[in-house]
Amino acid sequence: MTTLNVRDAAGRVAGPTAAADSASTGPVLTAIARTVVALGRALLIAVPVLLVSTFITFMLGGLTEQDPASLVLGDSATPADVARMREVFGLDKPLLLRYLLWLWSALHGDLGSSWFSKIPVAQSIAERLPVSLSVAVGALLIAVVLGCVFGILAAVRQGGWLDRTVTVVTSVLATVPGFIAAIALITVFSLLVPVLPSGGWVPPSAGLWKWASFLLLPSVSLSLDAAADVARQLRTGMADTLHENYIVGAQVRGLPGWRIVLVHALRNGAGPAVAVLGMHVPRLIGGAVIVETVFALPGIGDLTKTAALGGDVPVVQGALLVTIGVVLISSALVNVLLVKLRPAARREI
Amino acid sequence: MSVSPDSATAVRAAADAAGESGRETLLSVRGLRVSVADGSEVVHGVDLDIPRGSAVGLVGESGSGKTLTCRAVLGLLPVGVEVTGGEISLRGTELTALPAAKRARLRGTDLAAVFQDPASYLNPSITVGAQLAEVLRVKIGLARRAARYRAVELLHAMGLRRPTHVYSQYPFELSGGMLQRVLIAMSITAEPELLIADEATTALDVTVQAEVLELLTELRRDRGLTLMIVSHDLAVISQMCDTVHVFRDGSIVEAGPTRRVLRVPRHPYTRELIENHERFGIDRVRKQRSQQ
Amino acid sequence: MKTITGALRTRAGVIAATVLAVVLLLAVIGPLLAPYDPLKNSTEILQPPSAAHWFGTDYLGRDVLSRVLAGAPRSVFTAFEAVGIGLVIGVAPGITSVYLGRVYEWITLRVMDGLIALPFLIFAIAVAALLGNAVHQAMIAVGILLAPSFYRITRAAALNHANAQYVTASQLFGASMWWVLRTHVWSKILPTLVVATANATAGGLLIVSSLTFLGIGVVPPEPTWGGIVASDLSYLTQVPYGPVFPSLFIMATVGALNLLADAIRDTSGDYGRARILRRGASRVRLT
Repeated sequence: MTTLNVRDAAGRVAGPTAAADSASTGPVLTAIARTVVALGRALLIAVPVLLVSTFITFMLGGLTEQDPASLVLGDSATPADVARMREVFGLDKPLLLRYLLWLWSALHGDLGSSWFSKIPVAQSIAERLPVSLSVAVGALLIAVVLGCVFGILAAVRQGGWLDRTVTVVTSVLATVPGFIAAIALITVFSLLVPVLPSGGWVPPSAGLWKWASFLLLPSVSLSLDAAADVARQLRTGMADTLHENYIVGAQVRGLPGWRIVLVHALRNGAGPAVAVLGMHVPRLIGGAVIVETVFALPGIGDLTKTAALGGDVPVVQGALLVTIGVVLISSALVNVLLVKLRPAARREI
Repeated sequence: MSVSPDSATAVRAAADAAGESGRETLLSVRGLRVSVADGSEVVHGVDLDIPRGSAVGLVGESGSGKTLTCRAVLGLLPVGVEVTGGEISLRGTELTALPAAKRARLRGTDLAAVFQDPASYLNPSITVGAQLAEVLRVKIGLARRAARYRAVELLHAMGLRRPTHVYSQYPFELSGGMLQRVLIAMSITAEPELLIADEATTALDVTVQAEVLELLTELRRDRGLTLMIVSHDLAVISQMCDTVHVFRDGSIVEAGPTRRVLRVPRHPYTRELIENHERFGIDRVRKQRSQQ
Repeated sequence: MKTITGALRTRAGVIAATVLAVVLLLAVIGPLLAPYDPLKNSTEILQPPSAAHWFGTDYLGRDVLSRVLAGAPRSVFTAFEAVGIGLVIGVAPGITSVYLGRVYEWITLRVMDGLIALPFLIFAIAVAALLGNAVHQAMIAVGILLAPSFYRITRAAALNHANAQYVTASQLFGASMWWVLRTHVWSKILPTLVVATANATAGGLLIVSSLTFLGIGVVPPEPTWGGIVASDLSYLTQVPYGPVFPSLFIMATVGALNLLADAIRDTSGDYGRARILRRGASRVRLT
């Protein structure tokens, strides 16, 4: 304390005590405000996106030549029967009106019913969404962990053997289609070294450990593409950042090396990697179709594929709507994360 | 007068100056050699002695090796540049032999530095206050709240108005003079004995420059901080330093008490520097004015 | 054009171009080279690779090499079709969005944002299946989904150059907007676009292979690279190497396209400059 108040002789600002108290709340508040603004903006952008994408989705059903009335009733139906059936399905109304009605009830949680099984679409989706989400979230976690570990190590050891290996592996992984990765993993971990199940699904209630063992291979195979991209972007971003003056600044202050890399370099170098991760989210959800087929998982991708091949339009529309919703929510979260990471980015366009 | 002493005699002169004041040597650099990866040597055997509590100036044009000497002392040479010979000892401890982690621990607590262009030495994505508090937490071990409180106090002590406001600002929201004060606050938080100021005031407005220099003088007076001031500006050196070392092409060509070197320069290069300063400096204009 | 020839002077560019030339050749004349009838069953099922069957035979005794060769056109050209559609839908709005006023700009931006939110594979499957299980419908869907990336890239490049001094200068001299677009902006956008097209074609190939793997857009006996992998899937225990050969063809083609894109990007100075500019905006001034 004796070293303090050097300037007090010069008669500047009054004691710092009162000011220091409010410092403990001030920055926190602005941080929350920034987050709220970013989240609000992201959601505002999502509204027209939701309208456009659902409209496209709905038009898809309208464009299809599948007439559920004749599909359901079969070839022996009379024209009068078909007309009555069309009325039941609401197909006699103009397309735009049908879209608005569909959107309105979708916003209330009603996605209609399957043309064939008559099971409410919302119910089928609710049954299958947990499967897809757990695989997608698992894949996301694996991608983040693998991508961060290898991206950061490669950046820190620039030009070393690890860096070169990471570069080669990520370039090769970028050429592997998801189904080949899945098959390769099954071949290795279920056939050659049988340690994990080659497919199927058990709910978490059957035991967390068992659930995880069924989840692992699908998640890993779905994550590889994203992990490679994250590692590559993180390596580039961090390699640039590590040459910045503020890294020297942090070193001069005597901060330990791990702290400089994980706090100072990572924060500024992670932007592109986070953005790329955001771009991968739709692929993690959409790519689940492949994984669900190869590993025989009862997920939403499997539901969509079966429904689409059978011409069950309401199911396809509902499943697409839900996936779009998940995508929009996750991209809003990514935007918020980006703003939090790089406040200086506010100045950029 | 025409004698141009080699670096050995120059150093002896500096050592004498230190000896006269009777203070113990804080930092001692002996025969420091620095080379680039391709083998070319850029610093050729520099000798420096910095007595505790003194202010030592390093002067010379850019590329003369003064900044690399500082970086070598800090143990933060750029990638591909290495110390290839000589010794750097701080209070008798040989630094060049220490492992990197140990040297990192010395920075901040034993020696610290501020540079030109303060904005680039702060993380653009973290508020300046949080960065200051981080140093307090890591180097002194303060708890989160205590670090925040102390950081605001320090900002205030550095003469920053509205320290709480400054605390929550990002680097791009503050002026160069304010940032340099923040950086000085960061560098002295862990009470180092030696502060290296490498062109720390070069890019600042003249009035701001004077304020920052005054702050450094106060820190030296009140805390006994030892200063190593690197500048190409003789005015700064003459105002701040007890002794001065003149760098040229990676060697010290002349060293001695500032007053003596500036009044009676022995090396032609020093004379050239002083002449240039006089010819283009503000003193000349003022002198002409007063003669008229 | 200059950017492509420049890329061909690098080693990576030469390797990539060679692989692509071979793949393209196979896509054109591959079916003629097939040593066996790719659809003909035989009793020699699940044979390992041999002199008679280089890639072995599948579960119906069909020659895998013949199937890979016969499947080349469908596997490669369909991706081109999708990328072509994506270019048409993406590039024109991308450039014009900078010049045709705020309302138009807003609408195109929102539509492209909407397209980005559509999950790739599921949407393609929905389109292909609902519009009659055919490959062209699937490619229209993939093309639509590729459009936003082309839109963004061309728009960013056009924005970069729209305010450039030479464009302003041309306008001062009374040049028409279309003239400026054609002579200045287009030539500057081209390298970026070539890189994006190569990358998108690689992505398109991956999607086509995934769709055909799922059996979308093709009728079963017809061979495709993705479909060949799928057909042997149930026999993985007997022939664990089964998927290797068609997979290698997919990966080599995709890898060559990515490599070519990198080579073009590295040699094209203008693209490099654009990247530096973008980085510069987020960077603090260095000493």
